[in-house]
Amino acid sequence: MRVRLKCSIRGLAAVLVFSSVLHAQSAEQSGAAKALTQAPAVDLSGVWEANMPGIQWAEYSFVPNVPAMTPWGRERYLAAKPSYGPRAVDHSTDYVNPTTGKDVGCLPPGVPRIYIQPFLFEIVQTPGRVVELFEFDHHMRQIFTDGRQHPKDPDLTWMGDSIGWYEGDTLVVDTIGLNDKTWIDRGGLPHSDQLHVIERIRRPSSDALEINITIDDPKSYTKTWSGNRNFKLRPTWNIKEFICLDNADYNEEFINKSGAYSSPNPSKQHAKPAKPNK
Amino acid sequence: MKNKVLPLLSVGFGLLLVSGPLSAHHGKGAFDMENLTIVKGTVTKFEFINPHALIFIEVMGDKGNVEHWIAESSSNNHLSRGGYDKNSLKPGDQVIVTGHRAKNGAYGLELQCKECSVADSQNKVLLGYYF
Repeated sequence: MRVRLKCSIRGLAAVLVFSSVLHAQSAEQSGAAKALTQAPAVDLSGVWEANMPGIQWAEYSFVPNVPAMTPWGRERYLAAKPSYGPRAVDHSTDYVNPTTGKDVGCLPPGVPRIYIQPFLFEIVQTPGRVVELFEFDHHMRQIFTDGRQHPKDPDLTWMGDSIGWYEGDTLVVDTIGLNDKTWIDRGGLPHSDQLHVIERIRRPSSDALEINITIDDPKSYTKTWSGNRNFKLRPTWNIKEFICLDNADYNEEFINKSGAYSSPNPSKQHAKPAKPNK
Repeated sequence: MKNKVLPLLSVGFGLLLVSGPLSAHHGKGAFDMENLTIVKGTVTKFEFINPHALIFIEVMGDKGNVEHWIAESSSNNHLSRGGYDKNSLKPGDQVIVTGHRAKNGAYGLELQCKECSVADSQNKVLLGYYF
């Protein structure tokens, strides 16, 4: 009898806890719904340029050292042939920055790698939505701040499904639903389709933007890890045109005709002189 | 008419590279980033394009032969923010080009570095580097 009573009490407690969670969620939804008509809590808008002076590894990654990987992650990492970083190869098959002379590299870098591609990006804020416009290949992201949740079973995409909310002076961005065709960075750090990216974006001064990026992917890494990316405001600049298919002409005119990539083994041989197009 | 800059300078350049800006479209593994090469010649074509501006140069070789060099700089988007444009170079310009040569000895030059430039015969920089 005493045992049964204990079980009942536990069951009641569980129901109460569960119902409080439900209540909290509905309260959150209700509060978030107001965001539809609220102005952004912090102004992050502007054209931003990477600002990582003197940091060599910032050219290809978010962190100086390779994070600890699972066997699955390491296998993927070793299979990558990046164009940048400590494992860079001359004839890279990087899906974005290839040097094969054949691949155009027009696939999206994905999240968070898009922040490492060395071109400007612009933040546009509206009530309920933050838009990031990237100069590189004209990619864009939508971060919904209208209180919606992620889809329960999202389609996997290159840039994922992003929702956000404001915590004081910080925009928190939560992204899931990423396919596993991209790398975390330009050095070939892998990820699975279980990747969960958390960004904390703040503006420590009027002309500076800081993004803290946390990588949560238990299939690829033994623990979560994070890095920072800094940007400076370029108030007089605009995003310019950048069309990826122009890479095909560049491949033909430089990668192939310069002869610089013609031999995998550096030697004294001289390539056949290229004839400039008339 | 091409000279390799003193290897002694390469240490200093290496330090500059470490503190330099981030590079653009692809890695530079195919180029000798430890040493600078200087070539003198005539611009035959200048393409101010993405993802990299291209400079085509005719260089008189040591044996009187004509060498056709191709140099790449950063994207026209970046270069334009550094004050350069499609008219910075034109066919017929006599230039001194400083860059990193292809490791395999081909006539390819990488101009994405702070010390890299295309200058006129008076050493006035016509196309510098900007990222």
